[in-house]
Amino acid sequence: MSNAQATEQSERILKQLVNEGKPILGYVYPHTPLEIIMAHGLMPALLYANPTVMGSYEASLQTFACSFIRNMFSQRVNDQLPYVNGIVFPGNTCDSLQNLADIWHLRFPQDKVFRLTYPAGNQGEAAVQYFAEELRIFSNALEDAYGSPFSDATFRQAVDLVQQFRSAVQFLYAARLLQPSSVPYHRIAAFVREFHSAPLEMVVDELRATVNDVEHGLAEAGRIDSTKALQHALLERRLEDVSLPSDLPTPRIAIVGGMTEPQAIAELVNAISKVSSTAVVFDLLSFGFKTIFMPMPAFEGDPFETMARSVLGALLEPTQEGLPRRLDFLKDALTHLAIDGLIVCEQSFCDPDEFESPSLLTVASEVGVRTVRLPVDPEFSDRVRLEGRIQSFLETLTHGGAA
Amino acid sequence: MSEKVKEEKAYRVLESHNFLQRVMFRYMLEGHAASEEGKLAWVTSGFPVEIPVAMDVGVSYPEQYGAIVGSEKAGPKLCEYAEELGYSQELCSYARASIGSVKHPEESPLEGLPAPQALLACNNICGTVLRWYDAISQMTGAPVFLLDTPPLEGEQMPHHIAYVRHGLDNLVSFLSKQFGTTLEEDKFRKVTDLSTETIGIWTQCLEACKNKPSPLNCADRFLAMAPVVAIRGRDYTLEYYQTLLNEVNDRVANGLGAIRDEKVRLLWDNIPPWFRVFRIMGSLAKRGVVFPADTYTHAWTGSIKGEDRMDSIASMYSNVYLNKGLEAKVDKMCNLIKNYDLDGFVMFSVRSCKRYSLGQLVSKELVSERTGVPGVVIEGDMVDSRLQNDAQIETRLDALLEMLL
Repeated sequence: MSNAQATEQSERILKQLVNEGKPILGYVYPHTPLEIIMAHGLMPALLYANPTVMGSYEASLQTFACSFIRNMFSQRVNDQLPYVNGIVFPGNTCDSLQNLADIWHLRFPQDKVFRLTYPAGNQGEAAVQYFAEELRIFSNALEDAYGSPFSDATFRQAVDLVQQFRSAVQFLYAARLLQPSSVPYHRIAAFVREFHSAPLEMVVDELRATVNDVEHGLAEAGRIDSTKALQHALLERRLEDVSLPSDLPTPRIAIVGGMTEPQAIAELVNAISKVSSTAVVFDLLSFGFKTIFMPMPAFEGDPFETMARSVLGALLEPTQEGLPRRLDFLKDALTHLAIDGLIVCEQSFCDPDEFESPSLLTVASEVGVRTVRLPVDPEFSDRVRLEGRIQSFLETLTHGGAA
Repeated sequence: MSEKVKEEKAYRVLESHNFLQRVMFRYMLEGHAASEEGKLAWVTSGFPVEIPVAMDVGVSYPEQYGAIVGSEKAGPKLCEYAEELGYSQELCSYARASIGSVKHPEESPLEGLPAPQALLACNNICGTVLRWYDAISQMTGAPVFLLDTPPLEGEQMPHHIAYVRHGLDNLVSFLSKQFGTTLEEDKFRKVTDLSTETIGIWTQCLEACKNKPSPLNCADRFLAMAPVVAIRGRDYTLEYYQTLLNEVNDRVANGLGAIRDEKVRLLWDNIPPWFRVFRIMGSLAKRGVVFPADTYTHAWTGSIKGEDRMDSIASMYSNVYLNKGLEAKVDKMCNLIKNYDLDGFVMFSVRSCKRYSLGQLVSKELVSERTGVPGVVIEGDMVDSRLQNDAQIETRLDALLEMLL
């Protein structure tokens, strides 16, 4: 499924839900607690950058606003978010999104705008307590706005559904690393996108069927246990004991970056001729690995505190961790997962991406992994050049030239 | 009369600027001495500097150094050094200049800042500071301490104060461990008292600009703000501001303005283009334009008081101008326009400062609607002159002044 087809499908599903009377709450940050939103009887829907949107931000945003927020804002101005009747922005994650929420609120006073503020840095238990309170305030705001109180029973169902999804996709991530032919990267990316667009049981059902197929293939190769062990190792972030088969196809590519959409990248890579379908084995993207490998919230205790622990336990998010820990994990991943090449995505005018990429490139260089830097915007306005860069990069990996 | 009036200039030069230079020179020497002793921390402009100062940790201030780089017109060269390391030209130019100067101190004004042994960042001014200090940490090996003060919407809630307070306790532990020092209550109270008194006198200097003519222009304040930003809590800083206030009061008493022929009073919003600010202000002064108020220098206000100074710090440093929403910024600008009887406003849209600048297009409309005065948005940068088009700025300022003169 192409990115455009995925967008159409998401809109179809959302339209149907709206027709059934289900309120849709849009969100833009990958670590938004879906379970809390669902516990209010609302449907969280990730708002994606739309590659076909006409730029309509100029009256409210300067050209140096990050390309992601320009795209989101243009969608709203052009009335391209028709199914969403509320939106939640993150606070304290980056300056662009911080200010966007204010601008949105002032420009569209009729919209229901929520802000969920996250702690920054590694502040331990104090951050958990702070964030738990922010979640409680957010929950109260949802109740006030929609008149639907938080339901413990619905929360438990939501936790269960989200965890089934994450666990299954984690397994696919691990399978892809051990046996790349077992599941295409774009298939994993499509599941991630579908679930975040509308976290429905039917997506999980479809995912379960795919996992069964993949398990069957892995069983034939005797790799079920090692896949589960790798899934566990990725969750625990302990990769030093990972053992990979010796007959892995090469090159093995990883993609790293922030708010770049995995499916958009998968589509970009797929469009390039002569790229092996087994090449992209791993990502460290916000809507990919970083969101999928979040620890499960506990069922017991205060739901806001348990959600706070889960969200703040997410791996590799710039907001929650200092740079050294993220670089250490990247180094481990490159080394122990036998990565040959790293594609570093940088969203234009995105401070977190652009500050981090020089350090990512340095780390890759230290462990002898070749890199290519990919400046991207949600519209992929220079798509041909991007494809050319990726193709040249893969050729250098294949033929051993300089990257 | 204490003013040195230069007939050929539209501007009156402050005599206390000599004192200011001595204060800043001393601050620089103290930074070098602290670095040599292994007791220097770099701090962000919104960091509660009273705590390291009370713990005998020296401080240097990279944003203030960025202003020096800008005014020395070294911005493009140092920013390019950072870009050679892979940092995008789209990133904060204070950060790029800082990274460039660490890479090539020999090419930098004052040979760069003295080497830090710790990096103290508070994100009450922007989220960029953490990533900037992470980059510096990679280059210098100095550890980063982040004091997290999540942005406020409305009043500060108890859980927010408790969280920031916890961060302050962690800061004391971090400094104790890093520098082998302790926080003594008596000294802490003395430093916070000095800081509060300094800010109080600085605020009096700012408020004196309500007078007509205004005794200070914003370029005066951009220079004079350096100690209140970087070296609060020192007795010599307080002494400087007392001298400045005396001079300001003298000007008011004698009806002397910062410029010789005040005709139009404007508000300045945002950090100035350090490499061009005196040229812009000088050129406008010749046309009778003065800036009695600005949002930048008014950001350093507040007081640390009460029995529990840490709680007071947690409150004051969370409530700084840039840590509040756009509505609060609009309110502040409207109040300044009203209280300082201003005729219009200039919003400088800084390409590399997203926290301060994104939202200006909306706030311009709101401020004009609420106050009835016209404003203009001009675009450029604080340090990197490559990002600025002077001719475009001139045209826009001319358009504003045509309405007012």
